[in-house]
This record gives sequence, C-alpha cells and structure tokens, in this order.
Amino acid sequence: MGVIKGVLKEELENSIRMKSDYERELSKLPKGSLIKKKVKGHEYYYILLREKGKVKFIYKGKVSDEEIKKYREVKEYRAKYRKLLSQVKKQVRFLRSTLRGKESI
Amino acid sequence: MEKNQYELCVKVLKRLEKAGVLKDVILIGSWCIPFYKEYFAGIKYISAIKTRDVDFLIPNPHGIKVNVNIPELLKDLGFIIGYRGAKGYIKLEHPDLVVEFLSPEKGRGTDRPIPVPKLGVNAVALRFLSLLIDNVIKVKVEDFEVLLPHPANFALHKLIIFQRRFKEEKAIKDRNSAIEILKALINKGETNTIRRVFGSLLPKWQKKVIKGLEEAKEREILSLLSVGVSTK
Repeated sequence: MGVIKGVLKEELENSIRMKSDYERELSKLPKGSLIKKKVKGHEYYYILLREKGKVKFIYKGKVSDEEIKKYREVKEYRAKYRKLLSQVKKQVRFLRSTLRGKESI
Repeated sequence: MEKNQYELCVKVLKRLEKAGVLKDVILIGSWCIPFYKEYFAGIKYISAIKTRDVDFLIPNPHGIKVNVNIPELLKDLGFIIGYRGAKGYIKLEHPDLVVEFLSPEKGRGTDRPIPVPKLGVNAVALRFLSLLIDNVIKVKVEDFEVLLPHPANFALHKLIIFQRRFKEEKAIKDRNSAIEILKALINKGETNTIRRVFGSLLPKWQKKVIKGLEEAKEREILSLLSVGVSTK
C-alpha cells in the first residue's frame, strides 16, 4: 500500500471514530431550547423541543440568568457540533470514495 | 482544508501560550515539519505529508505548575474528548486536528496512560521520546514561541522508530521525512550537529539509526555518521 493511501486509510478510521464521538457529545446536551413568551405583560420561559415530529412547549416559568446563559451555551454548542459532525460525515464520504479501488476498505 | 488546519493549529498553540502551558510542552510529530520552514529558510526543503495528529510531548508530567484544563480551554473551538483503547487514552478531536499528549517512557514502561491532572488530560508513554527533549529549539509563530525538537534529533528519532512501526506505509513516511530533514541539515551546513547528536546516542540507538539508513540505502548520510563515531 502506498504512503498516501495508508495515511488516508488511517484518517478514515479516525473520522469514523470522530463521527461517533460527536454524536455522543450531541446526545449529552440537554434537549430543546429556551424561549421567552410574554403573557399579559409578564415574561415566562418555555423549553421548545420536538418529540416524534411534534413541536412541544414545556413550561419553565421564571428562570435565573444563570440558566438562561446555560441554555444559550447549549444552543451554541449544539449548532457547532452539528456543523462539525456534518464536516466529519463529508470527510468519511470523501475518504471512502478516494480509497475505493480494487482493495476492500 | 490545509489552510484551516494550519490556522486551527496556530489557534491551539496561541491558547496554550496564553494559558502558560506552551513552555511546558514540545510540539513533536509531523506537525513540526511546517514549523521547521523558518529554520530551513533559503534551504531546499520539502514539507512531508502530515496527518491531523498534533502531538505534544510533556517532558515532565508531574512537574507542571499551572492548573489549566486543556479540554475546557479548547472546547469552544469545537474540540471534544475522544477516549481510545481499553486504557482510556485521551485525544482532543476536531475534524481538522486531533491533539494528543505523549511522555517519555520510564523504567520498564507501562501500557497505561500517564495522568496529567493539572492539564485535565493524560499522556501516552512511549520509548525513545527522551531523544526529542535533549536538544530543543524555539521557533517564532506569530507573536509567540513554540518549542520543537532540533531537526537533527527529530530526524534521528524518526530513523529509530520507523523500524518499530506495524504499518509499512507509516514506516516509509517516517523514514522519508527523516531523510528529507537530514539532507536539509546537510545543505544548511549542520553536518557536525548531526554527528554530535548521533554521537550522544546510546550505542544501541546508534545501531538502530545505522540500520535505518542502511535500509534506506542512504550511503552519503551513512558515510557522514561513520566519521569519528564508533557504533560497535
């Protein structure tokens, strides 16, 4: 096997492992995002999430600034990890197609 | 991808520098090669193939003074912790780069990772890494300095370890990059440095270097090393 092919094969193995690691990190993040609703001049918070294709609001009432910050961070990390996961999936597809030849991978 | 990789690597180095960790680690592995470009300025030097693995050598895992959680430090860049093997070696993963920590193996060695609690990581203990600590150079990257093994030490280390690789293609990659760097050093007029580093090696290690060069049929480099150095 050539040097380049060997490097690509190793990178493919790394990307496959990385894909499951990003999926694991995404599953560890709390589900849903925090949204604010104004009812009769009062602000209330809800967790907005999707369950079996249906949008669901879970009442949270009043939440602390700390919790708001936490949900904001979670939202950012979810978006970041999804983007990186999609990048890893593209790498896997690219590496598989590059390596596809006479030898099985 | 290569530009992104380089930029991300510099970001990682910059964060480690700001946190006060960079002075305690040496950048080793294939990522040394792009940073040697400054050292070999004006010399014919081809950058070898590099993988995503950015390896940091921690010469003294128990002597680290700063308390910095590296996984947390790199989290917002998108790095996540990946555990490898049954012993749980930690790698910090990103689609563009994988950061790993290594440490020289001591005594009889161990297959367990060496915990580095002050940095929130663990390090893989490997043989021959002490060779990369003995002679270190500083290379300027943007507005900070990175510690790298001297290219002579880097090359001789690669010549020793390529013979221990299980995968043939990895062995060839190591051997080729070692020879490329030795030739660049010769062109730079650093033949004596190569001889001096070679002369400082244990006789067993010298024999491995000679064997590696013989396998690569590098007679010119072999003849340089054999001047005034006994390998018997």
